[in-house]
Amino acid sequence: MLRFADMEVVQGARASLRPARRGTFRLLVEALREIRSRRRLVRYLVDADLQKKGANTLLGNIWWILDPLLQMTVYVVFVSVIVGSTQDAYPLFIFCAILPWKWFTSSIGDGITSVTAQETIIKQVQFPKIVLPLAAVVSGIVNFAFGMIPLAALLILFYSSHISAWLVLIPVVAAVQFVFTLALAVFLSAANVFFRDVGNVFRHLLRLWFYLSPALYSADKIDSIAAKGGIISRVFNLNPWASMFESYRNLIYYKTGPEWTSLLGVLILSFVLLGLSIIFFKRTEPSFAKVL
Amino acid sequence: MFPEAVPNAIEVDTLGIEYSLRFTRKTTFRDTFKNLRQKRDGPTHFWALRNVSFNVKQGESLAVIGPNGAGKSTLLQVLAGILEPTEGRIEVRGHISSLLTLGAGFDQELSGRDNILLAGAFLGMDHREMMERLPGIIEFADIGQFIDAPIKTYSSGMRARLGFSIATAVEPDVLLLDEVLGTGDEVFRAKSQKRVMELVEAARGIVLVTHDLHWVTQFCNKAMLLQKGNIVAEGKPEDVVRLHVESSARARAERDAEIAKALAGTSLPIR
Repeated sequence: MLRFADMEVVQGARASLRPARRGTFRLLVEALREIRSRRRLVRYLVDADLQKKGANTLLGNIWWILDPLLQMTVYVVFVSVIVGSTQDAYPLFIFCAILPWKWFTSSIGDGITSVTAQETIIKQVQFPKIVLPLAAVVSGIVNFAFGMIPLAALLILFYSSHISAWLVLIPVVAAVQFVFTLALAVFLSAANVFFRDVGNVFRHLLRLWFYLSPALYSADKIDSIAAKGGIISRVFNLNPWASMFESYRNLIYYKTGPEWTSLLGVLILSFVLLGLSIIFFKRTEPSFAKVL
Repeated sequence: MFPEAVPNAIEVDTLGIEYSLRFTRKTTFRDTFKNLRQKRDGPTHFWALRNVSFNVKQGESLAVIGPNGAGKSTLLQVLAGILEPTEGRIEVRGHISSLLTLGAGFDQELSGRDNILLAGAFLGMDHREMMERLPGIIEFADIGQFIDAPIKTYSSGMRARLGFSIATAVEPDVLLLDEVLGTGDEVFRAKSQKRVMELVEAARGIVLVTHDLHWVTQFCNKAMLLQKGNIVAEGKPEDVVRLHVESSARARAERDAEIAKALAGTSLPIR
């Protein structure tokens, strides 16, 4: 009894570490507060990550520009030469999808291993682990930003007829994508602590996801195969990447506005997923040091 | 309200840490399915610590000794807030610093300077404060112009020196030490011993895990013997150390007898 009375008097005492199951809402608030107070750590982690990515390769950051261009070339050769595509300005058409997709896959890949990679420090120091997937996804932004260079080059050199004021809205779609990516990365980084093959499984899932999304073909193609408004096309359009790819493509290729309603839907979905992911992460966080 | 003479820096009450063996060690989906199909034999849980209660008063330094696998390092991890207790209650008053395995968390690709800043951010130190301490940390580590070279180019001694220098740069109220007294070369060992003594004097409470029994009797005013996750003895350092020496001698004798018995059953010649 004495101890409890004493405990309340003491100021600045660390809260008891008893694993009382905290409320869902409080976990969310706690996570946001942790991120806010550890902004500096996130920044250092991002800096460190970028330094390393550039340092180990011959061409360094040039790869961020070359990579999407090379990938585009592969698809252009495959689709327009071998399969035969009637799509006008096909290289630009698929580049609208390759660029955000590269950003997505590299961020998810880094995010998945973000917690397990810091195994030693997790066992030595107590810090909010949520900064790890966050830093991984934030540093991925640079990847996308560099991708804007070849996009600009393509537009100016070969497809100047596609340039319009709508290009200014690319960051809006990118913001939606960022929230969506963060939600998945937070969840997967925690899951990977318990199952180390999350990365392997997801790598293949991602590939399947890419081909099932309107990346190399337009969404109309699905409508022409399946009946428009039918079950298949409706399921197809539930895919968040369907609306994100189409939105990017509207801005860059078709010179029109993004698909506002479906994009808003993806944004709401992303925030809900992000909330759930953070709760999952915070619930499993106490056992990271034990399992790693 | 309660006129206590000396307040406690650390309070630990019926602490227990349970590990689930199901998820420890790099599980894959395949393992999980395998476990679902066939129930594994043996226990699925084990207690690394059980029923551990003790206090550390302000100004006290407690030495935790015991054989390997007794739960000493686990205890430090709980005190540092890295592990959450499965049962019981622990309370640490004031800012805590843990000198756990030094330098193992360094980022190989980053320079020494960047690693100092990164470690400071992991420890939750204020950026401005960290910038002020940076020159002092670099000077104490004494690694010359290597400070701007990647950690992967460092020798293990340099790495240990830098780790020690970072860990002791903070002035904690409660200090946790895990076998850090013997890092580096002779000169650095003397220097670091002095630094630890300064911290010990400044800190409000110390918990030290060590195999150096000399240090225990010399510098600690309380000792605790852990065996298989339980407190076996607690009290004056000399008494506890004596008990530990006796019981480990007994354990060694028992093990030798067992080996002899096992060998006696075979036709192998005993050397």
